[in-house]
Amino acid sequence: MICRQALVLLALTLSSGCSSLVDTYGKRAPVEEIGTGAPAVVVPAQPPQPEAPVPRREPLPVPAPAPTAPSVLEPAPATPASTLLISVDQAIAANDLDRAAALCERALRIMPRDGKLWYKLATIRYMQGRYADAQGFAQRALSLAGADALLQRDINVLLEQVTAAL
Amino acid sequence: MAPRKRKVSQSAKKSSGSSRRWLPYVLAVMVWGAVAVGVWCVWIDYQVREDFRELQWALPGRIYARPMELYEGAHIAQSELTGYLQRLGYRQTPQPQRAGEFSVSTGRVQLRTRGFQFWDGAEPSLFIDVTFDGRRVFSLRGEAASPLALARLDPIEIAQINPETGEDRLPLTMEEVPPPLVQALIAVEDQRFYTHYGVDPIGIARALVANIVGGGYVQGGSTLTQQLVKNLYLTRERTLRRKIEEAVMAVALELHFSKEEILTAYLNEVYLGQDGNRAIHGFALAAEHYFARPLKELALDELALLAGLPRGASFYNPLRHPERATTRRNVVLAAMRDSDYITSSQYESASAAPLLVQSARPARSGGYPAFMELVYRDLERDYDKEALRTEGLRIFTTLDINAQTVLEATLDKSVTAVERKTSGAAAPLEAAVVITDASTGEVRALAGSRKSGYTGFNRALKAVRPIGSLVKPAVYLAALESPDFHLATVLSDEAISMKLPNGDLWQPKNYDETEEGDVYLYDALQRSLNLATVDLGMKLGLHKVADMLARLGYSKAIQPFPSLLLGAIEMAPLEVAQIYQSLASNGFRSPLRTVEAVTTAEGKPLEYYGIGTEQAADPASVFLLEHTLQGVFERGTARTVASRFPNNLPLAGKTGTTNDLRDSWFAGYGEDLVGVVWLGYDDNRASGLTGATGALRVWTDLMTQLDIQPRQTQAPQDVQWEQIPLFAVRDAERRDCSTTLPLPFRSNRLPDVGWSCEVNDSFFQRILERFKEPGQ
Repeated sequence: MICRQALVLLALTLSSGCSSLVDTYGKRAPVEEIGTGAPAVVVPAQPPQPEAPVPRREPLPVPAPAPTAPSVLEPAPATPASTLLISVDQAIAANDLDRAAALCERALRIMPRDGKLWYKLATIRYMQGRYADAQGFAQRALSLAGADALLQRDINVLLEQVTAAL
Repeated sequence: MAPRKRKVSQSAKKSSGSSRRWLPYVLAVMVWGAVAVGVWCVWIDYQVREDFRELQWALPGRIYARPMELYEGAHIAQSELTGYLQRLGYRQTPQPQRAGEFSVSTGRVQLRTRGFQFWDGAEPSLFIDVTFDGRRVFSLRGEAASPLALARLDPIEIAQINPETGEDRLPLTMEEVPPPLVQALIAVEDQRFYTHYGVDPIGIARALVANIVGGGYVQGGSTLTQQLVKNLYLTRERTLRRKIEEAVMAVALELHFSKEEILTAYLNEVYLGQDGNRAIHGFALAAEHYFARPLKELALDELALLAGLPRGASFYNPLRHPERATTRRNVVLAAMRDSDYITSSQYESASAAPLLVQSARPARSGGYPAFMELVYRDLERDYDKEALRTEGLRIFTTLDINAQTVLEATLDKSVTAVERKTSGAAAPLEAAVVITDASTGEVRALAGSRKSGYTGFNRALKAVRPIGSLVKPAVYLAALESPDFHLATVLSDEAISMKLPNGDLWQPKNYDETEEGDVYLYDALQRSLNLATVDLGMKLGLHKVADMLARLGYSKAIQPFPSLLLGAIEMAPLEVAQIYQSLASNGFRSPLRTVEAVTTAEGKPLEYYGIGTEQAADPASVFLLEHTLQGVFERGTARTVASRFPNNLPLAGKTGTTNDLRDSWFAGYGEDLVGVVWLGYDDNRASGLTGATGALRVWTDLMTQLDIQPRQTQAPQDVQWEQIPLFAVRDAERRDCSTTLPLPFRSNRLPDVGWSCEVNDSFFQRILERFKEPGQ
């Protein structure tokens, strides 16, 4: 089961072409389709399920279509951060990067020690061509990555890209 | 036309010899007169059309505090939420049915939000059911107990930047106007509004009769259109010529614009009261001013009250003359009943309703002057004053209303409690406080004086004072970053005298004038030993200390004199807060900010000032420093207050005291907040307070009330713990491993093998523990 989930997720992440962190969160839940003025309301239809270990891919921070909510996934309880991240990804998909960053920062105010959120913000700034900002956020993400080797690797890849761009 | 005609005929009479001979002249003059009047009318018509078309009111900038975010686990007490809702003008009801209502029961609040257009999207109107567990949100549910992850409440307006005219309004569109308000206005002011052409001869005649019968001014015959013209051109003149001009303008308006456009302009323009130097224009603002609620939430009796105000906003002012206002309201209601807009029973109940006006939020335009000064400073970079005063911009700030309220309620009392009573009537001990978010650099609360609402000298921004030992963390951090030092480096706390470049002899002393001899680096910082710090700083190099201060966010030039090591550098509390912010952010500098976003009056985002962050110091070294600063509360200079933080430790912080006890400082941080407190006299005389006996106590009073959260920094991966002998000695042979102390070290900068007590005494224990770990 877990394996199948992982495969489905892998396929989805690869096809989405978006370096969204939704995969690392593994907390995507089927949501009501929300517009750009997304209210932060997510309604999980079922009780929580354990997170599936998810293979990660190299980050490729380029804007891409919105990842659609895959109905094959078991829903997990919506947290403030996961809820906001859905809106972040929608904003990225709509190429509204300022809004994506603002939503990401809103999540960071709630979970300031979440390395993934700082990494997400770094990728958004990278997409915007704000490389110096991206570097700061990525370094901060790295300092909070703890023992998460996959996250560390992603951040280091981004840092290389940023350094090359600077 | 009439006056000119009369004049012409009079002059004709006087000089007439033969009326037939003068007739052509008379006719010519009349024709020219008619032409002149025609031109005048055309000109007025043109003017009115242009003015009305370009009608753009100067709209004051509106400044909002940070909106409250509700989610499970959010650090919010029930009383904080209810206080917040009351500030928003929400009404407490047994069951919240409409937006802007809330109910309270034990450990639970239910509410219906109004919804708000934020810079990052619209927050819809929501039903929210919140339960609390102590000072935290326990659960959050939506409609029909549906799970709700996150809800953002409407922001509280804390100030506004008024136009030069002092006019204030909240413009409405016709759809936003409750129909009963329009009905009330039409019933009482202008019953034939939808049928007349700007002037209403029947209305004038009726008013004339009423005034003759009543023997004075009883009724006006002005239509809403005429009243709008009068309001737009703002003259108090009541001459006949003025009346005629107004009538012509009213007719011109009606020719070119729809009834709806005229009515909308009237609803937004009409003068409805005065609040200090602020003129209340339009019904939306009047609703806020008199009822502290949005127009759409008002009931029939309240709308009728407002509809009665255009006749005489100060005469019928419900805050000053409740009886007159009630009478007037009932006149309006009666007119509505007579025009069949409401039934008799509606009339009965509405006219019996008690008058429940409430003066608008207390500190609307003058609140939080110290914080607002910083907001203006931040805004001035991108916006000129005129734009802020006239374009209705919405400015979203980082102010935490709850923190600011606690600060204002606590500070003066708290300062009084530590103040040393001195004889004479000199100015009292003063204070400044800066509270920021520990990770984003957002300023949460600010005090520029011990007195809340004080508009004078803003000490948080401008009182530039020596920072004393607050500088030491920068000294020690610079040392920990260098390859030559770690927390167990032994420093020499012994008398020293140094010849300065200017030839003076510098002989620093410890605060208590003792010498501690050999001390560990960590211990020297926790106990704030001056001599050991000078020993460290001179070995390290002053330029490294100056460089560290600059990296942590101090932006002015630094004179690298040895006295810098003991804080002979002057900073404002805000500058100190920036430095400690970088420490609290684990070595990442995030510029302090007060403005988060600016939108247009309609909510279109103009500017978003996001978090900035730049690596200022090596996170592992910052971790070692933080570990040491936590010890300040456990065994260092702040240990006296440790018992007041039963659920909040570990916290990190540092006391600061300057020469002759002039300045008393404390800077400290938890997981969520950074706080800097300064106490001292404006004339720089001695306060008699150390950092620990003054500022630390005030800081503690504030932070216990704000329930500052314990630090949760995890050791970076390149940090490991080693046992070292409790007592520092220079000679490795004499080290005593019978009592040891665990300290963190960078893996590549461990104490010498000869020093550590690990190898000999606890090596096997460590191996044992390693095996134990998986089972724990």
